[in-house]
Amino acid sequence: MLLPHAQTLAQARSYLAALADRASTIDASSAYEHVLIELDRIHGDECPSADTEGLTEDRAILLAVATSALEELEQYGVDLLRLELVIAMLDDAYALDGT
Amino acid sequence: MYGESGAAMRAELAGLLRQHRIQQRLVGTTAEQREELGGLIRTYRQSVIVWLGQAMRAASPLAFSNMPPAQPNPFRAVGSRSPHLTAASELARAIDIARQQSSARPASTDALATPNANPMVDRWRLAARAAALAEHDTSEQVSAQMTAPQAQALVGDVAALTQALVVLDQRYKNTPGWEPLAQSTRLGWASLAAALDVNLGQPDYALDHLGWRPKTKVITGPVRPGILGVLQAQHNLVIRMKSVPNAPNLRLVVDSQRLVSAHLAPYAARIDDRLAGRWAERAETYAVIQKELREIGGLLGKGGLAVSEGANAVARLKALPHHTIVEPRVLSGFQLLFNRLDHRIADVIEDGVEQGAFFKRVTLPRLVGGGGQLVRPVRERFVPVTSAKDLEVVKTVRERLRPKDEALMSTPGPTRVDLHSALIHRPTRGGAVDVPNI
Repeated sequence: MLLPHAQTLAQARSYLAALADRASTIDASSAYEHVLIELDRIHGDECPSADTEGLTEDRAILLAVATSALEELEQYGVDLLRLELVIAMLDDAYALDGT
Repeated sequence: MYGESGAAMRAELAGLLRQHRIQQRLVGTTAEQREELGGLIRTYRQSVIVWLGQAMRAASPLAFSNMPPAQPNPFRAVGSRSPHLTAASELARAIDIARQQSSARPASTDALATPNANPMVDRWRLAARAAALAEHDTSEQVSAQMTAPQAQALVGDVAALTQALVVLDQRYKNTPGWEPLAQSTRLGWASLAAALDVNLGQPDYALDHLGWRPKTKVITGPVRPGILGVLQAQHNLVIRMKSVPNAPNLRLVVDSQRLVSAHLAPYAARIDDRLAGRWAERAETYAVIQKELREIGGLLGKGGLAVSEGANAVARLKALPHHTIVEPRVLSGFQLLFNRLDHRIADVIEDGVEQGAFFKRVTLPRLVGGGGQLVRPVRERFVPVTSAKDLEVVKTVRERLRPKDEALMSTPGPTRVDLHSALIHRPTRGGAVDVPNI
């Protein structure tokens, strides 16, 4: 894994972890956590650490940046279909969070 | 479990002690028939003696004497002189002599399994069978887990059973061809001394929970309806966790437990507030662990089956109607399974970190802007390998997740009391109920 890839992945993980921490219900938090685990699984659990310090509290912004970071991962040779599935999982989790 | 096999042995011997007029009970017209039954009884007795010797060997490393050591002050000569000669070792020696000098062989499997038409002989058979079963309850693996007070309790049990054998030996001596126990008087006194020594301390009857247990198995078959389905999945999860999961699967299992605890707490609150509080706390603990496990990676291990059972538990719990009333029995079943699973997950995390199956993720090195040099290597920081207890997750596991060991119920139980009262009972005159009519 090259450094830019790792950095993007670290960002995506951080945003997902922040979403899981700030979710309104326990079910939504668990759903975000599943997205994070799925992302790790795509990378064969070879991922850098996540850092949720100093990130915004606003879940809508976090969702937007997380989605864009996930989309960006495509440039580094990650399978697009699997990424799309992860993004779909993220949208479902956000829908669960909003209700 | 020693509690069951020991209780069976004590119950049968207590029953035998309450029987008098042995020759009347050995139904047989000729002396040969009675001799044959007597021989059978002696083989059963030999099985019991073999177990007694084995139990004493299991307890011997821990069966310290409760006698105070000898005082150097000659005016206060209290205590045993030689620390090597304890009452327990003396009892073990006497039992060994009795075993070696008997000409009877331990009962064969056929003899143990075939019921006898004579009720008294059958009681001997049941006692011998319990002794044979107790052999793997006091094996070396079990005695390795024993504490000193538990070993004392075992010595006390052996002493009571030995005393029962001595009393019965006296009573059976008129049987044709009977062979008395070798040095039976010494055996009786040694057992009395051992029992007295044990009672100077405080024997721990939690011993009853040690020993062999049948293997727990996955509950297969159709899904049980309602809350029982959740219980089934949770039980299967505990069993599936016997294989070590890899880090992503462990995270999924932890997630399932967080959800199960959080969603079960409202059902528990209708019955028991304290339990609901504990489960809410458990859900929080798992949330913390889940957060900390994000920084842990590792691909060693499997655990797919455990994950699917965890998901089953969550899905079935969510499908439960909200007005369901969960019985207290089911709730305590959940609590039992939660305790086991918490222990197991704590073990998996601690051992995994300790043995290198799990790794800590590191934060990425920062890229440093160009400083005039053509090639600028990525700045890296090497973190020394520290001990496992520095990791946050291990700390949480040790402090919050691992269930506190609760004191097991440790009363002597009814069978010990029964055997002791049978040892000292006297047949009532006149209306003796357990004497056959002649």
